[in-house]
Amino acid sequence: MLPDPIAAGVLELALGAVLLLVFVLNFFARGEDRRWLAGAALGGVLAVGALSLVVTPLPARPGGMFVQDGLALFAKRLFLGATVIGLLAGLGARPASGRRAGEYHLLLLTSLLGMLVLASARDLVLLFVAFELMSIPLYVLAGFLKREATAVEASLKFFLVGSVSSAVLAYGLSFVYGAARSTDLAKVAQAVPTAEPLLLLGLLAVLAGLAFKIAAFPFHMWVPDTYEAASTPFVAWLSVAPKAAGFVVLFRVYFEGMGARAEVWTPLAAGLATLTIVAGNLMALPQQNTKRLLAYSGVAHIGYMLVGFAAASASGTAMILFYLVAYVFGNMGAFLVVEAVARAEGSEATAALRGLAQRSPVLALAMLLFLLSLGGIPFVAGFWAKLYVFWAAASAGLYWLVLVGAILTVVALFYYLLLAKRMYIEAPERTGPIRLSAPLMLALVLCALGVVALGVYPKPVVMAALRVAAPLF
Amino acid sequence: MDALRVPVLSVITWSPFVGALLIMFTARRRPLAVRLIAVVTTGVSLLLSLWIWVAYDPEAAGFQFYEKVALVPPLGIAYELAVDGISLLLVLLTAIIIFAGVFASWTVAVRSQEFYALLLALVTGVFGVFVSLDLLVFFLFYELAVLPMYLLIGVWGSSGEVRPRGIFAWAYRATGVGTKEYAAMKLTLYLLFGSAFILVGIFALWVHAGAGSFSYLDLEAAQFAPGVQRWAFLAFYLGFGILAGIWPLHTWSPDGHASAPTAVSMLHAGVLMKLGAYGIVRVGMGLLPEGAAELVWLVGTVGSINVVYGAFSAMAQTDLKYVIAYSSVSHMGLVLLGAATLTEAGLNGSVFQMFAHGIMTGLFFALVGLVYEKAHSREIGKMGGFGKAMPGIATAFTVGGLSSLGLPATAGFVAELLTFMGAWRSGHRWWLFPAVAGTFLTAVYVLRVAKQIFWGPASPHLHPVEDARGPEWVALVLLVFVLVLFGMAPGLLLGPVDTATVPLLSRIVGP
Repeated sequence: MLPDPIAAGVLELALGAVLLLVFVLNFFARGEDRRWLAGAALGGVLAVGALSLVVTPLPARPGGMFVQDGLALFAKRLFLGATVIGLLAGLGARPASGRRAGEYHLLLLTSLLGMLVLASARDLVLLFVAFELMSIPLYVLAGFLKREATAVEASLKFFLVGSVSSAVLAYGLSFVYGAARSTDLAKVAQAVPTAEPLLLLGLLAVLAGLAFKIAAFPFHMWVPDTYEAASTPFVAWLSVAPKAAGFVVLFRVYFEGMGARAEVWTPLAAGLATLTIVAGNLMALPQQNTKRLLAYSGVAHIGYMLVGFAAASASGTAMILFYLVAYVFGNMGAFLVVEAVARAEGSEATAALRGLAQRSPVLALAMLLFLLSLGGIPFVAGFWAKLYVFWAAASAGLYWLVLVGAILTVVALFYYLLLAKRMYIEAPERTGPIRLSAPLMLALVLCALGVVALGVYPKPVVMAALRVAAPLF
Repeated sequence: MDALRVPVLSVITWSPFVGALLIMFTARRRPLAVRLIAVVTTGVSLLLSLWIWVAYDPEAAGFQFYEKVALVPPLGIAYELAVDGISLLLVLLTAIIIFAGVFASWTVAVRSQEFYALLLALVTGVFGVFVSLDLLVFFLFYELAVLPMYLLIGVWGSSGEVRPRGIFAWAYRATGVGTKEYAAMKLTLYLLFGSAFILVGIFALWVHAGAGSFSYLDLEAAQFAPGVQRWAFLAFYLGFGILAGIWPLHTWSPDGHASAPTAVSMLHAGVLMKLGAYGIVRVGMGLLPEGAAELVWLVGTVGSINVVYGAFSAMAQTDLKYVIAYSSVSHMGLVLLGAATLTEAGLNGSVFQMFAHGIMTGLFFALVGLVYEKAHSREIGKMGGFGKAMPGIATAFTVGGLSSLGLPATAGFVAELLTFMGAWRSGHRWWLFPAVAGTFLTAVYVLRVAKQIFWGPASPHLHPVEDARGPEWVALVLLVFVLVLFGMAPGLLLGPVDTATVPLLSRIVGP
């Protein structure tokens, strides 16, 4: 039996070890093809992931800064799973397996470490440190293709916006500390009912800071440029993992220990959700680049998750967690198909998907599944995800929000179906199937399996999410 | 009793889906195998539908052939199936139409494997809607029924020959009005837009019933406050109404049905639009009696507009498929008008009309598909004198047309008579006039089309045409037979229907 502090942080320690291993191995790496280094990083993450499956949640100690509760563990498994898929997809292609593979993986794993810590942080200072640990490597990774002008621009934009959001976050946290006279989140939760303006202002600033990270409207403008310029497997991961982390922070700061008082946030969250859904979906309409389209549709998805947040209830929280899981598979899958097509065609435009169904029927079917999941059609994961957040919102009496969300789903399906039209109805420009590398194919299969399995039998994940969300309230 | 343990409804529902999977995975590049699998799996559904229709016990009434599997217990979602007199009829209708549809699309040449797989998956959705008691599973099947339509129309549909004219021609050209891609997208988006309202309504019922269940039976037992009843009924009316083609939200229907391939038009106009009316009757009127009593004036009045507007629009069309599509809009008005009368005769007429019109429209679209395939045109003006060359098709068209205008001894007559009686006895007697006017106008456009195409002088524009062949006959004979059979012996159907409509009405207007 391990002593408590080590038992709680065992995943972080293990990931730290993997990080050091990759660092040391990097000294021995020579040449252009450093696939084995990427493989080692992947193996390490897989091992940590396996470890996360056997770790059990520990009861929170009063006043503890770091907690390994059910929510933290659920989130960590999600991060690790997403990372496995992301690393798998990048295996064997530049930049993840090129000359700078060591740096790439070190940065990615560092950011992952930040996420793991973030999921467990119950203290304002630790929370901020973990947040920065997660964010800073992402700025570098976004500009990793440094010879391309767009990548530099995107990275700079991401960095500036991210820094400002961090500053706002820190500023808000200082207010919260000033009003609650403690950095302990439990104390903050107790202080909220007095509704001191300073505290509310602080929490509002924190929300703005976090909204940048999860890319809610109007804090989303870094998203499309960054997604377009960065390498696709990384973007696939960027589009899900840090956002999931952002949501966990939202739960910790705004819900945990608040009970029914969490409803204070409902109007704010509902407004943010409405704006994000409407803006994300409408801005996705004219996009001709698949990655940009997915970026804007991702903004809309954040809006749908915020619908669950607006419900301010245990079921709402649980349904966001389920949504995140569904989103990992659906969104990463869609990005990976773009990557597969781009490797063969050299283009990420929607036009590159033309006639895919006749060239590679299975790849087209996989993309269709991912799109339908994102659009929320039955028997794929996204349907249940949307349905559950809507259900949570309706239970909280937010019928108008459900209606807005459901109607905007129609807009979303319009642009998803346009992609389906490219694949299924339009004629191909070139013939011959698209060849996939084995790791990318494996990653795609994982995503497709996840989407279908969750769509057909969502029960285990829903129950798990409900279980971990219940103690928050 | 042993036979009852077999989950009949599940077999009916999922048999086409199994067919779709088999077609996808085993029948690659073997077109005949594809068709045989489709015939067998839809045949199984048809036979079992006939069997439950015979085995349904009208004495016991209520929901029968009950099945239940809990899916997500904390939310009270369960896979719960059963049929009563109304859904029984619609299951039978679906089975007949799809069986005929499989034969009617025998000649699909391009990517026929995918075509049949999607078609069968779609049918599973339709069956599922009619048999599910759990509203959420109902919704799930509903969405499943909408989506394959996009690809079916987009890939295998046909674009119209209409040229944009007038001051908005640029807008028509920019959006591609008349093309199959436009029609597919329009249809899908309209229906999904409607489903947004349905979803909100379903959640509202779940929350206000407080039973923690989506089951129809639990929700039926709950009492809803008048305010909730009113707005939830409106939400359901709007949501399902879009699917049923209520004016002015009907425009997806002519475009969609005209562009869709034959079997899809048959299924969509014949069955899916009925699904909208069924939703209004089952969920709206069944669960929200007070809301329904308060708002039937709206349902009936819009229905009247549908009848007349649809008929006039049909008269103005020059494209054969659009004529049939607008006649669906007109007849769906009659269905809703009958239901809105809140009388036994009217509601029975409405349900009977769903069935009769389903068969009738199925027949029409099958015929139009055949004519298009032989003559390569849908322009009424370009065709003429086909009666000599294709006597079988001409006869079937005439029978369908006579049923459509409500000639005695056809199913259409029974449905319309009952609806008229209901309208006369209802609180809004003036509904009788649009209903009768609709029938008159139907006679005008149907006979005009029949005369021009089949019985007039031969058209100089077209090459020689021939009659239906082989498997195509199966579809025509089956549908004509059903149309006449139930016109002669409506009691066969009305018996079970009555057991469902009477209790439903007594909840709304009292015993």
